[in-house]
Amino acid sequence: MNQQQNIQPPKLFLRFFRWFCDPAIAEDIEGDLTEMFRREAGSKNIRTARLQFSINVLKLFRPGIIKKFGRQSSYNSSPMFKNYFLTSVRSLMRSPGFSVINILGLAVGLAIFGLIAFYVYHEFSFDRYHKNADRIVRIVENLRTENELLLQSTSSPPMGPRLLRELPEVEKYVRFQNWNLLGQRNGNSFYESESYIADSTVFDVFSFKLIKGDKTTALREPYSIVLTETMAKRYFGDEDPVGQTLKMDYDNYKVTGVMEDVPENSHFRFSNLISFSTWSRNNKDAEDDCWFCNGFHTYILLNSADSKDAVREKMKSFIDKNVEKGGMYYEDLPTQDLTSIYMAPQRSWENGTRGNLNNMYILSIIAVFILLIACFNYVNLATARASRRLKEVAMRKSLGAGRKMLVAQFLGESLIVTIVSGLLAVLIGWLSLPWFRTLVESPLPFSVFPDPWIVVSIGVGLVLFIGILAGAYPALIISGFQPLQIFRPSAKGLYSHQNFRKVLVGIQFMISIMLVAGTLLVGDQIDLVKNQDLGFEKDALLFARTNGDTSIVSGHLEAFKNELKRVPGVVSVAGSSSVPGQNTNNIYTEIEMTDGKMSPTNINYIFVDHDFFSTYGIKFAAGRDFLRENKLDDTTAFIINETAMKDFGWNEDQAIGKQVWGVGRRGKIIGVVKDFNYKSLHEKVEPVMMALTNYVGRISIRVESGDLTSTVDRIQKKWNEMIPYLPFDYQFLDVMFDNQYKADQQLNKTAGVFTGLAIFIGCLGLLGLTSFAVERRTKEIGIRKVLGASVGSVMVLIVLEFIWLIAIAFVIATPITWYLIREWEQNFTLQAAINPLRFVMAMVAVMAFAWLTISFLSFRAATSNPTKALRTE
Amino acid sequence: MNRHQLGEFEELVMLAVGILYGEAYGVAIIDEIERRISRKVSIGALQTVLRRLEDKGYLTSEFGEATNVRGGKRKRYFTLTNLGSRVLRETQEQRLDMFRAIPRVAFPK
Repeated sequence: MNQQQNIQPPKLFLRFFRWFCDPAIAEDIEGDLTEMFRREAGSKNIRTARLQFSINVLKLFRPGIIKKFGRQSSYNSSPMFKNYFLTSVRSLMRSPGFSVINILGLAVGLAIFGLIAFYVYHEFSFDRYHKNADRIVRIVENLRTENELLLQSTSSPPMGPRLLRELPEVEKYVRFQNWNLLGQRNGNSFYESESYIADSTVFDVFSFKLIKGDKTTALREPYSIVLTETMAKRYFGDEDPVGQTLKMDYDNYKVTGVMEDVPENSHFRFSNLISFSTWSRNNKDAEDDCWFCNGFHTYILLNSADSKDAVREKMKSFIDKNVEKGGMYYEDLPTQDLTSIYMAPQRSWENGTRGNLNNMYILSIIAVFILLIACFNYVNLATARASRRLKEVAMRKSLGAGRKMLVAQFLGESLIVTIVSGLLAVLIGWLSLPWFRTLVESPLPFSVFPDPWIVVSIGVGLVLFIGILAGAYPALIISGFQPLQIFRPSAKGLYSHQNFRKVLVGIQFMISIMLVAGTLLVGDQIDLVKNQDLGFEKDALLFARTNGDTSIVSGHLEAFKNELKRVPGVVSVAGSSSVPGQNTNNIYTEIEMTDGKMSPTNINYIFVDHDFFSTYGIKFAAGRDFLRENKLDDTTAFIINETAMKDFGWNEDQAIGKQVWGVGRRGKIIGVVKDFNYKSLHEKVEPVMMALTNYVGRISIRVESGDLTSTVDRIQKKWNEMIPYLPFDYQFLDVMFDNQYKADQQLNKTAGVFTGLAIFIGCLGLLGLTSFAVERRTKEIGIRKVLGASVGSVMVLIVLEFIWLIAIAFVIATPITWYLIREWEQNFTLQAAINPLRFVMAMVAVMAFAWLTISFLSFRAATSNPTKALRTE
Repeated sequence: MNRHQLGEFEELVMLAVGILYGEAYGVAIIDEIERRISRKVSIGALQTVLRRLEDKGYLTSEFGEATNVRGGKRKRYFTLTNLGSRVLRETQEQRLDMFRAIPRVAFPK
């Protein structure tokens, strides 16, 4: 008995049932429900019984069972709803322009919000399509050298196999290494810079789909290659590539499979995979023991997503056990979750491009701001419109309308308008999607959404939420008035919602000022970085890869350069191992310190030829350039930059003649060049050492500015004449440098566009509000004019209402923006000072827009004939 | 007679009410249908149909005893009315007639 008492059907559902069920039949149905519940609770467990009970109740919620609501009050309510609808439409149509503003503003806001949300979602969707995404981690290195801690994204070949052997949590590993190969077939040749060697486990760990070939054997044999569809098409057209051979650089590879292209939301993409054994068969020792050959990216599949911490904990002892502690050692081998790599702070030698978490936050903030502005507009205008219908409300109340009915009427109306806005937003979003895709330079495929219905329901939920929220204020306020108060509007409080509206407008102004000032300041920072003195002339300078081809490098270099120099428009030609903006090699070197002793260190090297400094316009601070006449320079001369000089504690005079032992040479420093940005502008200039070589990786060509295109064409022609099998794969240096800031520039562009739109939406709202303010004060203005007020003073009267709002908004917006921009600028080594003038400019801009909007209406009010105004009733 | 067409589920319910003569209340009907043709019937579906059949005058109902297991709620017992049983019989005869009218050859061996 006691136990029986405990077994109770779910209260909530029982109450729900009692509420909706027709009382005439409720008793026996409830009995049935209870009986079945008891029975199931007896035979199965209580939870299933309760669930079943709830489902039964929900299934009972159908016509025939539900009581006739409202039947007690014996009138038919459908004409009333008709009347609600009619008055709603009438009130919308009475001021059509106003309604269009209302609906359009919200629609544009929603559309922008949707687009940005799509983009942000896309950016966070990276690598999540892998089935094992939560179990895959990347091993990266914190490498401690003599003078710094290097955060590298890479790892060494023995790490994967050794981790598999020693840690039970590790199930599989895949190692990748980027190879830059020249693919050739039937006279077609392309650089395949996104070639990777990979372990044969790659298809087990990642969810890349093989279309042809066997995933277990495809990457087993040396010189096997799996092509992506796009690459297969490039070389084989419609032929079946499997089983055929493809020449890459100097080797022939057997095509063992074709896979789908790597999805665009992957943190690194490749055009083909080459079997890892192609490398390891010739480098067995390095594969087993080279713990500092960190040119690889290692991914590890764990047995479960929960064992990440366990692996992290064991890493220290793993390092101690396996890696010798020499001059260089691993402080740690952190693991990065696969799905976090795309947004994580960049480490050196990253594979693939990376997103920017900060920029995503900024964009999300903008999106929310725009949605807020649009919603506030909507609330404001809805409130304003509702206040025009006070008499209607009073009339309804006098005729017996209950408060609930009025609330329902206004909420319903608001919901209808928001739904129309929502549909319009979908249309606007759909139409502007192609434009938006170009703006953010991302393909934004719909396939990133796991389930379209989730998106749809979130969208619908958002629209309904806004509709209810926006409708709630006017609905609750207005339905609360006493009819007498309205008919005789002498009492206070009737217009109290004016203040509420002003707060909303104030926040809109604040957001607008923040957006404008923020955009200006971001622009300042980017301009500073773009126009910063790089220490070399980056304009009209292009470079091409030599691919180490024997007809360019070594003995042929001078001849090759001379040929190019003869092309009209070419100013000078230089060779080097890498060009500024690219990675450099960190090489062990011993350097003579001021006390005369040789001190070991690791330093970046760039190998150059005799024309490098002159071609790049890099200036000397001390000493001299490499000289052709001086044959000794080839093997004994080093040039350093100013940072290196300071780093070693020398001045200009001391530096020259200091001994350097490195890269197999024993020589002296012959010159010091002024600092130039040889890496990225996100990084500080580091010490660098330069030595002569004729085995160059890049050919840089300075051309006459002016007719660049035809000069490039001529160079291309010459190049093809000399080495027809090697593509002339060139890039302009300034373009490449600008690309380093692509994410930031894009942010600036995007932010600019949306700031403009935000202000537009804000002004729409202001326009609507002003028209109400003016209308409400028609008589007041008329009387003022009759009593001798000038047009100017009337306008001041109206504008003044808004000016102080802007002033308050300015005071609040400034410190917030200041702080946010300060945070964002931490990304850069060179930070622009925040210019206070920008805030003033933003305020003036917002004020100007607001004033233009307002004065457009207030001028009309101020100049109109007062008799007209006074006659209106 | 066309006016008195029974839906398939309506027919099942009426059959069950007939079978359970005198004992036909909600849960019993559900059990009966489930036992005989192993078809899951929800209370919601059953109750709607019961009310509809009662409105049409095919069934009539009266309250029975209240039991503890039903939380003190009374049962409502349904019985076939004269009209109801006539309609049910006609329906069955129509079906049977049609079934008999199928030529032998139509049945695959």
